[in-house]
Amino acid sequence: MNRKKRTPMTMTPLRRRGGALVAVLLSTTLVLSACGGGGEDSGNSAGATRTITADNGTIEIPADPQRVVALGNTSQPFIDIGGKPIGVTELSASELDPIPAEQKATFAAATNLGADTAEVDLEKLAGMKPDLILVQVPDSEFEGIEKELEAIAPTVFWGLDTEWKTFADALAEAGNLTDALSEQKTAFEEKVAKIKETHREVIADTSFVAVDRWDNADPGTFVITDFGCIEIAADDIGLNSPKAAEGDDPLGWTDLPFEQIAQLSKYDAILYPVDAEGQPKKAFAPVVESNTWKALPAVGSGRALGVFCPGNNSYGPVLKYLDSLDSALASLPAKG
Amino acid sequence: MTSLALRQDGPGTVTVPGPRRRLVGLVAALLVLLVVLVLSVMIGSTAISPSVVWDALFHPSPDIDQFAIRDYRVPRTIVGLVVGVALGLSGALIQALTRNPLADAGILGVHAGASFAVTVAVGVLGVSDIRGYMWFAFAGALIVTLMVLALGSTRQGQSPVVMVLAGVCIGAVLGGVREALQLTNPDAFDAMRSWNAGSVVGRPLDLVWPILPFLAVALVLAFAVSGPLNALALGDELAVAQGVRLVPTRVLSVIALTLLAGGATAIAGPIVFVGLMVPHVARWIAGPHQRWIFAHSILLAPSLLLASDILGRVVMRPREIPVGVVTAFVGAPVLIALVRRKTASGL
Amino acid sequence: MDFGRRVLTVRRRRVAVRLEWRSVIVCAVLALAAAGMAVLALMTGSYQLSPGQVVSALSGGETGLVHDIVVEWRLPRVTAALVFGAALGVSGAVFQSMLRNPLADPGIIGFSEGSFTGALIVVLVVNGTYMQLVGAALVGGMATAVAVYVLAYRRGVQGFRLIVVGIGVSAMLMSLNRWLILQADLEQAIAAAAWNAGSLNGVSWDQVVIGGACVLVLLVLAGMLSRPMRQMELGDDAAASQGVRVSAARLALVVVGVALTATVTAASGPIAFISLVAPQIARRLARTAGITLAPAAVVGALLCLTADYVAQHIAPTPLPVGIITVMLGGGYLGWLLFTEARRRL
Repeated sequence: MNRKKRTPMTMTPLRRRGGALVAVLLSTTLVLSACGGGGEDSGNSAGATRTITADNGTIEIPADPQRVVALGNTSQPFIDIGGKPIGVTELSASELDPIPAEQKATFAAATNLGADTAEVDLEKLAGMKPDLILVQVPDSEFEGIEKELEAIAPTVFWGLDTEWKTFADALAEAGNLTDALSEQKTAFEEKVAKIKETHREVIADTSFVAVDRWDNADPGTFVITDFGCIEIAADDIGLNSPKAAEGDDPLGWTDLPFEQIAQLSKYDAILYPVDAEGQPKKAFAPVVESNTWKALPAVGSGRALGVFCPGNNSYGPVLKYLDSLDSALASLPAKG
Repeated sequence: MTSLALRQDGPGTVTVPGPRRRLVGLVAALLVLLVVLVLSVMIGSTAISPSVVWDALFHPSPDIDQFAIRDYRVPRTIVGLVVGVALGLSGALIQALTRNPLADAGILGVHAGASFAVTVAVGVLGVSDIRGYMWFAFAGALIVTLMVLALGSTRQGQSPVVMVLAGVCIGAVLGGVREALQLTNPDAFDAMRSWNAGSVVGRPLDLVWPILPFLAVALVLAFAVSGPLNALALGDELAVAQGVRLVPTRVLSVIALTLLAGGATAIAGPIVFVGLMVPHVARWIAGPHQRWIFAHSILLAPSLLLASDILGRVVMRPREIPVGVVTAFVGAPVLIALVRRKTASGL
Repeated sequence: MDFGRRVLTVRRRRVAVRLEWRSVIVCAVLALAAAGMAVLALMTGSYQLSPGQVVSALSGGETGLVHDIVVEWRLPRVTAALVFGAALGVSGAVFQSMLRNPLADPGIIGFSEGSFTGALIVVLVVNGTYMQLVGAALVGGMATAVAVYVLAYRRGVQGFRLIVVGIGVSAMLMSLNRWLILQADLEQAIAAAAWNAGSLNGVSWDQVVIGGACVLVLLVLAGMLSRPMRQMELGDDAAASQGVRVSAARLALVVVGVALTATVTAASGPIAFISLVAPQIARRLARTAGITLAPAAVVGALLCLTADYVAQHIAPTPLPVGIITVMLGGGYLGWLLFTEARRRL
């Protein structure tokens, strides 16, 4: 079986589960027992502390953490708000690609603690003497290393289903980086307001559909997606696009065979993923090259819009997405 | 064990079907194949009316539904046909050669070799396109099959158990290395997964044509050695007594079957049990003559493969299940039934 | 078809005493090697500690992180590797002896795929907790092992048939698993998949103590069964004539063998191939005629610890131990085949 790394894009807003609650309860007892076990003199005992609440309970952390280790999905969003982690777990090339060069350099400067958070080199991590550990991984993976991490330094954990804005707030709070974040938040609010204003009519009377094709998709399949960037477009901008019924699996989990491309003709406009240069994303290229795609009315009339989504788990990439969405909407021809 | 290929239905009842049955069987198999081919074009994830299908084939126009027929259903049908023929014939060959009714290219490590080679190509050498790594799959399949056959060979011929063992252990080692590679390179894993599904979908036809000459050569070789293989079924001594030259027969058979299994795996990824099951049905209909077994296998295997593919298209609509998953599910019970039969237990 | 057995009957009685001697020495040497490996694993790690610090931590003289690293991380991990490795070795020995086949192994007869199926079903149907997942994995594994056994049963279980049925059932479950993963909640599927890789990273004393206690009880049981087991190696009739209740003994052996593997699987996920390889290495080192439990246990412990050390420290990036054991085990099997093939030629 695979132990595939997760792109934040494919993972973000899952439903809350009973398991999470159990994990939280369990982690509380573990925290208590860890305290008894002699972890109290680790961390930043000299400086002031404050408390933060996350999925693993209420944690006492340094007021101004200096040596932060960011594991799993926390590394990129943490760097995005100006954090400089000293240790990280690997990101795949496809996750690293879209992030800005100076952030890439920050990532590369951090010590590599392993390919996978479940196999993170705990002793190496301990040897770095961090004063704060940030983790976002599946609950089950965290359970396995929770006690060990907490023995090293105060550990803040978020499940994969943390909503991205909440996640950014929490990361900024933990890392004492709220100033940098508030700039990004302002930029985001302005951008959202501007798009809503500029494209008011288009947003009101166009039916959109967002399509994608994951890197690990079976050949000859694509998805209609309702999470990731399109969710931001739907929730914040108000784009009208298909969404899974409450309680159902997200649409983006169902691989559809290429034959189903023809079904896209019932929508006014199609949003498809492109890279920074505006070319169809590599995994999505087979869809664009297909004759069925080319025969779609929306494609023929220029109403298939390439949108660049560098990530949906922090403000930096989301702002870039909104820029891309803005110009895509501007290029949309009036409805014939 | 030597007479395994001859006996069919338990002790005493050695039924050798007459020429009539063989011929009728062959015609019936051909008809079944034709029906399946038609169905494969008719049935899919979306409902497209027969008249549109007809027009798509005979009065082509740039209509969106017609593209679905011409671009997806027809190619996957052709791929299924080619892969099915190769798998069926390779299964018949490997069973005749090893005198082992349970031999199957998949069990013997072809898939392990191919997927390992693909992982190396993607993860280490940076090949990212199926056009590139298909050739790695081909090479990997060939090398590992040869290794397994070599390990499993003794002076007395091939030992089925040792061969299964060799397949299992080579598969395990390669699997371990592959997993380690994939863990350190998740992008390679992604690319890999799309090949590893064992599917006839999304294989561009221009990818299939270069493999065809290999398969054609193998086809000719297979029929060329079918006579000596008949004699071989009676045991090496008897075969030699009948003037069969053992070494050339074995070498040619191995070449043919690795080309077939390797080619099929390179195109479609690992598809299990088709090569195992079909020759049994063929033997049941056609009796002990290898030439007839081959001919029946060639017709029956693509029918089975395409029927499995059609099943995979409809059971979870609109999503599809890769054909490799379906054949494993359908094939395993057949394997178990076979191994429980008296004839096989004589091994 | 029973290929381990021919060798066995030929030289059994004549050299029995000398062999026992040898196996005692071999066990002692292997145990020393395992102890050495354990010391090495305790002393070394990415966190630099002097031997003095390690010793002092073990004797309770350190507090804080140094204590945690040695006593809470390295020590349980080393203990787990030794105990679980021994359990796997004995489990494999029981199976191979009982089925008179060097290939018999809970993994090969579908235990791994079956336990993964169990885990996935729990994930899918009841959206269960980690403990439920582990429980279901055990049930799934055992049910599969039993099913394979029953399907392969036809007036007795014959080695080759068992293996082929195992391959068939495994392949079928593999495809079922793939289908189930398509159905599952992504995060839960990942949890099941991560569990399925078999890792000792972050193993805690709780797991070691509970798992270790189970293993201990089972090892004692296995020891008690070793006499009927060896008599059954000579054939059911021979064993029956010496007063062994063959079918009861066989059932007990299956239960003990599967339970040993199941315990390890529950604590760390499936660690492949040790149960297959350890008894074979033990048999060759100790030159015993049949499969013996004690050498298999020691070899299993040494193998598992070594594999985990390689996975942790020698591999370019830390890997789950299961990946290393697959490679070690498969490599060993290949070498075995190669030498046996050469001998035949």
